[in-house]
Amino acid sequence: MSNTSNGASAYQPPPADVTRAKVSAGLARRYRAEARFRALGLSATLLGILFVIFLFGSVIWRGYSIFGQHQVRLDVFFDPEVIDPSGTHSREALLAADYQALVRAALKSRFTEVEGRRQVRDLTALVSTGAAADVQDAVLADPSLIGQRRSMWVLTSSNVDWLLKGKVARSAPENERRISDEQLGWLDALIKDGRIEQRFNWTFFRHGDSRDPELAGVGGALAGSLLTLFVTLLLSFPVGVAAAIYLEEFARQNRITDLIEVNINNLAAVPSIVFGLLGLSMFIGFFGMPRSAPLVGGVVLTLLTLPTIIIASRAALKAVPPSIREAALGMGASRVQTVAHHVLPLAMPGMLTGAIIGMARALGESAPLLMIGMVAFIVDIPQGLTDPSTVLPVQVFLWSDSPERAFVERTSGAIIVLLLFLILMNATAVVLRNRFEKRW
Amino acid sequence: MNDSIPQAGPETVGNVRVPEPVFSCTDVNVHYGDKHAIKNVNIDIARQEVLAMIGPSGCGKSTFLRCLNRMNDTIPSARVTGRIALDGNDIHDKRQDVVQLRARVGMVFQKPNPFPKSIYENVAYGPRIHGLAADRAELDDIVGSSLRRAGLWDEVKDRLNQPGTSLSGGQQQRLCIARTIAVNPEVILMDEPCSALDPIATAKIEDLIDELRESYAICIVTHSMQQAARVSQRTAYFHLGDLVEVGETNKIFTNPRAKLTEDYITGRFG
Amino acid sequence: MNPSLVILLLLALVVVAFQVGKARSIEIVGGARGVRDLHSLPGHYGLLTAMWCGLPALAVFCIWMLAQDAIITHFALSSIPSAVAHLSPAERSLLLNDLHNIVNGRIDPATVAESTRIAAASYQSLRETAHLALAVLIAVIALLGLLYVRRRIRADLRARNSYEQVVEWALFACSGIAVLTTIGIVLSIVFEAVRFFQLIPITDFLFGLHWSPQMAIRADQVGSSGAFGAVPLFTGTLLISAIAMVVAAPIGLLSAIYLAEYADRRARSVIKPLLEVLAGVPTVVYGFFAALTVGPILRSVGETIGLNVASESALAAGLIMGVMIIPFVSSLADDMITAVPQSLRDGAYALGATRSETIKQVVLRAALPGIVGGLLLAVSRAIGETMIVVMAAGLAANLTANPFEAVTTVTVQIVTLLVGDQEFDSPKTLAAFALGLVLFLVTLVLNVIALYVVRKYREQYE
Repeated sequence: MSNTSNGASAYQPPPADVTRAKVSAGLARRYRAEARFRALGLSATLLGILFVIFLFGSVIWRGYSIFGQHQVRLDVFFDPEVIDPSGTHSREALLAADYQALVRAALKSRFTEVEGRRQVRDLTALVSTGAAADVQDAVLADPSLIGQRRSMWVLTSSNVDWLLKGKVARSAPENERRISDEQLGWLDALIKDGRIEQRFNWTFFRHGDSRDPELAGVGGALAGSLLTLFVTLLLSFPVGVAAAIYLEEFARQNRITDLIEVNINNLAAVPSIVFGLLGLSMFIGFFGMPRSAPLVGGVVLTLLTLPTIIIASRAALKAVPPSIREAALGMGASRVQTVAHHVLPLAMPGMLTGAIIGMARALGESAPLLMIGMVAFIVDIPQGLTDPSTVLPVQVFLWSDSPERAFVERTSGAIIVLLLFLILMNATAVVLRNRFEKRW
Repeated sequence: MNDSIPQAGPETVGNVRVPEPVFSCTDVNVHYGDKHAIKNVNIDIARQEVLAMIGPSGCGKSTFLRCLNRMNDTIPSARVTGRIALDGNDIHDKRQDVVQLRARVGMVFQKPNPFPKSIYENVAYGPRIHGLAADRAELDDIVGSSLRRAGLWDEVKDRLNQPGTSLSGGQQQRLCIARTIAVNPEVILMDEPCSALDPIATAKIEDLIDELRESYAICIVTHSMQQAARVSQRTAYFHLGDLVEVGETNKIFTNPRAKLTEDYITGRFG
Repeated sequence: MNPSLVILLLLALVVVAFQVGKARSIEIVGGARGVRDLHSLPGHYGLLTAMWCGLPALAVFCIWMLAQDAIITHFALSSIPSAVAHLSPAERSLLLNDLHNIVNGRIDPATVAESTRIAAASYQSLRETAHLALAVLIAVIALLGLLYVRRRIRADLRARNSYEQVVEWALFACSGIAVLTTIGIVLSIVFEAVRFFQLIPITDFLFGLHWSPQMAIRADQVGSSGAFGAVPLFTGTLLISAIAMVVAAPIGLLSAIYLAEYADRRARSVIKPLLEVLAGVPTVVYGFFAALTVGPILRSVGETIGLNVASESALAAGLIMGVMIIPFVSSLADDMITAVPQSLRDGAYALGATRSETIKQVVLRAALPGIVGGLLLAVSRAIGETMIVVMAAGLAANLTANPFEAVTTVTVQIVTLLVGDQEFDSPKTLAAFALGLVLFLVTLVLNVIALYVVRKYREQYE
């Protein structure tokens, strides 16, 4: 640049047509660069969309079949000899009976040629182990069934379901199919009888976890998620809104306020697993709260979502024009009255939107819940806030680790359920925002 | 006003045409969505002269200015019709390249908008993208001479590497002028270039405009009648999208022929 | 009398107090006509009375509930002195566990030792007495509060101001929870981490090249030094985060540019929410996707071109983590790009710059600090992300920079060390907190820098 100062004074701009020619010379090259850059941007965007489609497509493709499940119709004879030889109909006796024998008998009555322990075992393996429980439930609900013959729909085993859904080819080798040729023959006979049907899979929504894929469901995890979210919403919404109101409407600009703001912004970016460590050592270790409980999960998720809700609520409060506050204050309303009567109602839709989005985030969160033990194998559906339970995303995590191939379908199914809930929540938030969003 | 057929405004008073114009505009109309912002404007811009555009705010003078280098292209809702010829070629012609057009017709904005780069890079940016300098030495020459002609050289020669935003408002605006000159344009459009500046900085810019007139056609929008009187040879008065009167500056200010012009100049509104 | 009943009782008293306060204020000015002589509305007197009635009692209730268990347990154990005298800490905690399970009806009393049953019975009877005492205490405090305010109610008592002062303090307390959370995080992590560093020297942890916490448990007596070298974890985390950023930064940035500068409004309104869907997908879904779909695909692709790709490769986890971060980068970049004033773009266009020249040399240049801040936040997210790596990256603590090999990360190890049965004081458990401390500090520093940069940037164009 040193030579700019000397000799530069002699520089005279070239005539216009020289400049024009120079500009024209570069045009083609520059427009090519322009097109390249634009194509680059477009392909990045398309790539992003492609990921969305691929992700959802792969989950749905693997999981849509979960909503149906093959069942078999058995003619069960409620044999008094097996169920209640003493004839007392006492509850203890009914609970202790061998219902598996009834299922076995029902199958054998159809395939009279079956003999020997191995064949009988293979035959009963077509039906889920849950069938005996279904028979028991029927008897307990109506003891007068004893001595009668009823036709009942019971679940097929997961291997049968897997085969009938076409997830494995009939022509596949036996060990890959996990159904022997003999079993396949029986199965075809049952199909020919019209005894096998694909029906809506209520089991999946009603049951808790199970070692048997066909009996495992998201019911327990769903209940756990709802209980946890209930606690989270109950705590985080009022506290978050209150904090936002304080910071936006009351706080004076001082070091304490600065400290709080810096803290909130930082907490919003702290890895969620750190909140799990806090929950484990503080709530469970120090305060002695129960492990695996929705109560603790809810509290941890509250701390996790609080920054999100505070930030969203503050934005909603900021959107209320100052003129409304001035009008109320000018009427002689106190600051608390101004906020409670005027600002808060106007900001409420925005705050609710923020809360729903925060809840959606909490619903999908799993890492901190692993830390506080909500990762157990839980068969019973939790009934209260301190019952051991798990949540949907953690159920996904648990199943995804399972070696049973039928659990892949369950996992994807659970993801579909989870995504449906998330879509529902986000759609609600969008509707709420569009419906109530006011522009001043 | 949402009529798409151009409404014939009142006939412009004064002589709109000049011999050998650099710009010649015929029946220019601009719509912003439903708003008819410029109505049937006819005007020529001569070489080596300063044309001032005055008028009350919202009269369309800035909009018209932005038509001349197609800056309105960046506003999706804007629609420009009519013929604007630069050296006899329509700038809306398909063969007319907008990049080349803007290289020939530079623009200085209301608020100084130096790039977030060094002073040197700000001036060098235009020559660089257009490939005007064959080597670094020539680029240095272009930057140096542009800064000199913008009257900024002595103030910045020792700190060419500092960011352009570190300069004062008036210096920033002269930097933007230097940036425009560096591309060696034929016309310079100025959109209220002094409205964000203090009187001393304004005086410097006005002196600069007077010098630049030697080499370029300059078209300046201003809200200050005094400024128009000081720097321009011809003045055009816009009112609600109409071009009301065009004429030699001293005549317009001493003896306006249109009633609206007279009302404006005598301060009935503005 | 169980605690929720006590709360109900208190609520009832609060409602009564509100009515009493309101009625008293009206009575004092001689009926509804005199209300204008009151300083505040009758309702404010009611609220003030209700607050005096409820808040002190609530505070006592909370303190009581926090302390109750420890005190009662102490007394319950002292009812079986012979059985607890010689217990080791671990056995003691087992006993306490049984005790609580019996008391809460989770296990059958018949399954535990005689002494535990006695302690449980003693615990239960003590607890009943305690709850009754609590109910009485709460009622007394609430009534005292009520009567105190009722006596003070006069026409010129500034009830509204006092009430609003309390409201303001309550709001302040709510916003203070953020600070308390941070303190809680720091305390809980630092305490455990310090205990870990008493067992394992901090230098071994930070600079050791070998990570094998499972060994440490078995070889306790031999000494576990050397098995807690966290360097492979740090490099693994960095490797996966780097892969994620290589995916997310260009795609996120370019799509943000495309949407902000090129796409028309219609396309933008469709594409933007579609991309934001990626941000709403739970990370466990990404983990599943990475482990079950992307991992095998990469493996088979690797096989066809003769590369040995581990089924739990860093690449699969990093790629999918990158996809997860795309919308994060994209929306931050979008904010930063739209914050660049139009006048700068106009300046470049007026010089004859093409759109891409304007974007690359002016807009991005101006938005650079903001974008760098956003990318730092994204890196912090990648480092702290847990589920994807837990499901897709595996446990092998390899010290490698090869993306086709399996690596493990800090978060994976935290989860592995803490999930499942655990003893609270083993170095294995404590190591998780030491890792947590590192994770917290690193992300904290990144966040603080990033937030500062972004804020400075925003201020510049406001």
